[in-house]
Amino acid sequence: LKPGTKSSSIIVSPRQRGNPVLKFIRNVPWEFGDVVPDYVLGQSSCALFLSLRYHHLNPGYIHERLRALGRSFGLQVLLLQVDVRDPQQSLKDLAQVCLLTDCTLLLAWSAEEAARYLETFKCYEQKPPDLLKERVEHDFLSRVTDCLTSVKSVNKTDTLSLLGTFGSLAALAGASREDLSLCPGVGPQKVSDKVTLGGTPGTWG
Amino acid sequence: GAAMAALLEHESQIFLELFHRDGLAVCARGLGIDRLLLRFLRLYCEPASLVLVLNTSPAEEEYFIDQLRSDGVVHLPRRVTNEIANNTRYEFYTQGGVIFATSRILVVDFLTDRIPANLITGILVYKAHRIIESCQEAFILRLYRQKNKQGFIKAFTDNAVAFNTGFCHVERVMKNLFVGKLYLWPRFHIAVHSFLEKHKPEVIEIHVAMTPAMLAIQTAILDILNACLRELKRYNPALEVEDLSLENAIAKPFDKTIRHYLDPLWHQLGAKTKSLVQDLKILRTLLLYLTQYDCVTFLNLLESLKASEKAFGENSGWLFLDSSTSMFVNARARVYRIADEKLNQKGKGSGSEKRDGKKEKELKRELVLESNPKWEALREVLKEIENENKNSDNLGGPGQVLICASDDRACAQLREYIIAGAEAFLTRLYNKTFGKDEKAGEEWIKDRKAIKSRGNAKPDTGPQAKKAKLTASSKQNKHKKQQDRTIIQMIGKTEEEKREEVEVEDNEELSGSQEGNTEETIPEDFDVNLPSDCYYGIFKDPLTIIHPLQGCGDPYALTRVLHEVEPRYVVLYDAELTFVRQLEIYKASRPGKPLRQVYFLIYGGSTEEQRYLTALRKEKEAFEKLIREKASMVVPEEREGRDETNLDLLRDARPASVSADTRKAGGQEQKGVQQTVIVDMREFRSELPSLIHRRGIDIEPVTLEVGDYILTPDICVERKSISDLIGSLNNGRLYTQCVSMCRYYKRPVLLIEFDPHKSFSLIPRGSLQPEISSNDVTSKLTLLTLHFPKLRILWCPSPHATAELFEELKQNHPQPNAETAMAVTADSEILPESDKYNPGPQDFLLKMPGVNTKNCRALMTHVKSIAELVTLSKDELSKILGNAANATQLFDFIHLTYAEALAKVKSKK
Repeated sequence: LKPGTKSSSIIVSPRQRGNPVLKFIRNVPWEFGDVVPDYVLGQSSCALFLSLRYHHLNPGYIHERLRALGRSFGLQVLLLQVDVRDPQQSLKDLAQVCLLTDCTLLLAWSAEEAARYLETFKCYEQKPPDLLKERVEHDFLSRVTDCLTSVKSVNKTDTLSLLGTFGSLAALAGASREDLSLCPGVGPQKVSDKVTLGGTPGTWG
Repeated sequence: GAAMAALLEHESQIFLELFHRDGLAVCARGLGIDRLLLRFLRLYCEPASLVLVLNTSPAEEEYFIDQLRSDGVVHLPRRVTNEIANNTRYEFYTQGGVIFATSRILVVDFLTDRIPANLITGILVYKAHRIIESCQEAFILRLYRQKNKQGFIKAFTDNAVAFNTGFCHVERVMKNLFVGKLYLWPRFHIAVHSFLEKHKPEVIEIHVAMTPAMLAIQTAILDILNACLRELKRYNPALEVEDLSLENAIAKPFDKTIRHYLDPLWHQLGAKTKSLVQDLKILRTLLLYLTQYDCVTFLNLLESLKASEKAFGENSGWLFLDSSTSMFVNARARVYRIADEKLNQKGKGSGSEKRDGKKEKELKRELVLESNPKWEALREVLKEIENENKNSDNLGGPGQVLICASDDRACAQLREYIIAGAEAFLTRLYNKTFGKDEKAGEEWIKDRKAIKSRGNAKPDTGPQAKKAKLTASSKQNKHKKQQDRTIIQMIGKTEEEKREEVEVEDNEELSGSQEGNTEETIPEDFDVNLPSDCYYGIFKDPLTIIHPLQGCGDPYALTRVLHEVEPRYVVLYDAELTFVRQLEIYKASRPGKPLRQVYFLIYGGSTEEQRYLTALRKEKEAFEKLIREKASMVVPEEREGRDETNLDLLRDARPASVSADTRKAGGQEQKGVQQTVIVDMREFRSELPSLIHRRGIDIEPVTLEVGDYILTPDICVERKSISDLIGSLNNGRLYTQCVSMCRYYKRPVLLIEFDPHKSFSLIPRGSLQPEISSNDVTSKLTLLTLHFPKLRILWCPSPHATAELFEELKQNHPQPNAETAMAVTADSEILPESDKYNPGPQDFLLKMPGVNTKNCRALMTHVKSIAELVTLSKDELSKILGNAANATQLFDFIHLTYAEALAKVKSKK
């Protein structure tokens, strides 16, 4: 199997047989196939899997694999399972290796989490980046919450309680100090923060 | 203002010690650390010195400058801000004197040699206990000591308790400060104690008894609190038992304590533990409200908790305990009781509108409106003062009165109570809070009126019957009622009282719009020329005012008022350690001046009292620990860093052998080249620049539009903490940043930096859902990787690890060029930084739909506040934003009601 081949499954190298990660790949189909990387995740993306514990026992292994892989895929992920107590030194070394070999480093702290990355790569293969872009259409409540929680000392519960009491952002912004402090759970500090936001005359803040 | 008072005996002693030898001075709270700093400031307010002051807030700086001005100081301290242009900064510094500097600016100025480091006379560090957390100040001190071996470093704090957390905290702080001496001045220091004993003001402690209902509520809350603590320990056996005692749970800093223990493992905590922590917080608030505010405010909070518990279905298990029932029953009994059917009928008859069944039920309420025992005690005290003032000829006329209560709300309540009386105030509050059943309020007013009219014949039956339920306090209440009158008559308030009654009548007629009317029953607050805007005036002659202990914008507001008013009587409605001490110093520093009596009101046997005593004990223990630590402290000779032997000042963390190896591997071209990293200005809020600098790499601070760190001409790094990562994946910022980085740099890098004090993992253990969800951070990170295959990701467990990695990534690569990096411009996604606008409101605005980085500035120029923004029409918004679509979005967002929003959500589902 070569890069560029279409498949609806993750193609797994037989080397991965016995890896506990496999039993957690449940949301997308996978099959064994003769491939250079450990996992072929799409037409131009693949992953090598490495457990840090294994790496500590066989430090040369990953370098050989990377050499064999070369730069045949557009996106080459090094999926690293952090399963040792003190990973710092190896992380630093592997980060450098990834930079040199044009690999993207992803960390997982369990086989389950590693499997989730593999699944998601396959599942999102054709997904546009809309999810990552700023959305214009947000639902009202989460946007208002977002807005109000940018005020120091106002939390999510306060937002609901403030909105519930005053009805709208307009009414809230026009509320007096006392009106605000009548709102349950909104302490004097919060009120004065809110008042500052309302602004002393002439300035923002 | 008066000229600066001379230092007190013990204060001169502290001053001299610190003046002769650099060190860290730790004073007891309220004992005048500010007076000490002020003395040093005055010493260096002259062009021949150049002294920097770290860690002061603008409000504190203003206070110090005001004090020095009134003391006749000519060369006043100046502030260095962004408004002073870069190219004039050097000159600004060389003009000398005392300079208050923003740390971020100072770091950059040290790094770019815009400050003549060798000319600095010394640095004064305020709030020095913080120097361990805020690495920026530590970085400044290090840069200073590297370049200046002669100047002094003197540090000040009055927070001894802060040194009580963690291992050898004080030693680490001293190391960061480059000081070898520790000066400890607890309240029990013999010099302090014996001196203050000589000048003690007369203190009258009044232990007020809580009402039976309040006591029952307090007992119930404590029971629940205890139950929650037990649960918490059961779920988390690792938590230290001592710190989770009931006593500590009541004390002020408990929220901090619990965060200290739980934050490192917050990721791994179960939902149960998290909700318990939330509950503890709520219970603590309830305890505070119980003694702090009135029965209506307390009940409102309690009822809202129950309502929100229903609405959000969160698991607050304690709402089902027996104690919780008792809490609700008693809290309601303080406000109303359910009247029998007859009364209800009567109420119905007088009502003009028809109500539905539910409303009718509520009509049965008969208001009780229990007064606060402390209020009555306060009235008693005021009466006593009044009497004393009447016979004050030998004291030179009536004395002024300063009443202090914890916060603004408490003060406002007290004022209304004193002027309008408990009944009128509580009725108004009740109507405002539970306005939907205004009928009950009407009934209450009607009853009261009836009593009053009958009052001529049989003066006391009414109120007594009303309060008969509260057996313990009823007699007292009756007694007080009569005093009410006398006090009010004495001070000529009868007209107010009459006006109020008229208002009440009006109220009855306009049952619909009670709120607006009752508001006016409070007479206008009057203005006195006082150096604070937080006070509430009560009487003009003799001046009697209420001032909050906390929550003023100016932390010195109360101090200023104290010195301006020069009260003969101070009433502490709430106990606060710092202010009690401040009164002691105030009294001692002006012998023969007015302060005669301090009244101290406290609920005996309450958590309020407990809190105060705990605060006292904690500080005492903290000092005892510091004294022990000081005794066993071994300070290395080179600590002050005045020669080349202090290792903290070395800028190469690599062991010699390793560095020799890497230098060789670096090749010829690498030799003799100073390593440089270009760092965005905004990054100086984090400790990473300091750590990079420490590794011997030069830092070039510039304003970058793309990336945070430029390591080589090819490597551009965007640094994200975990919360930043999640936030910026959600709001689209990271996507835009990756687009720009990939456009301009060969090796764009996303650095994910973990907090070393929290667990090193991205998602909480066991929280992985069985299905892929687009909300998960792993999913978004995967999608990001798919769309930016060129983007490299670095994972660092701590900033230290990052600094080390940066150094290695730079090896064998050429140095980046600042001009090139600055020339890279993104699509103006990032607002240029400016001191003109407060980042708080700006963040707020940017989160509203229709507002973007381009029109935000226009909006802020045209509109003065959010309050003004909401008054604008769609057309006006459109003109300002220059875009009708944006204006519509923003307008709709501002005016959409909560109910409409909920309806929308439902219709979608």
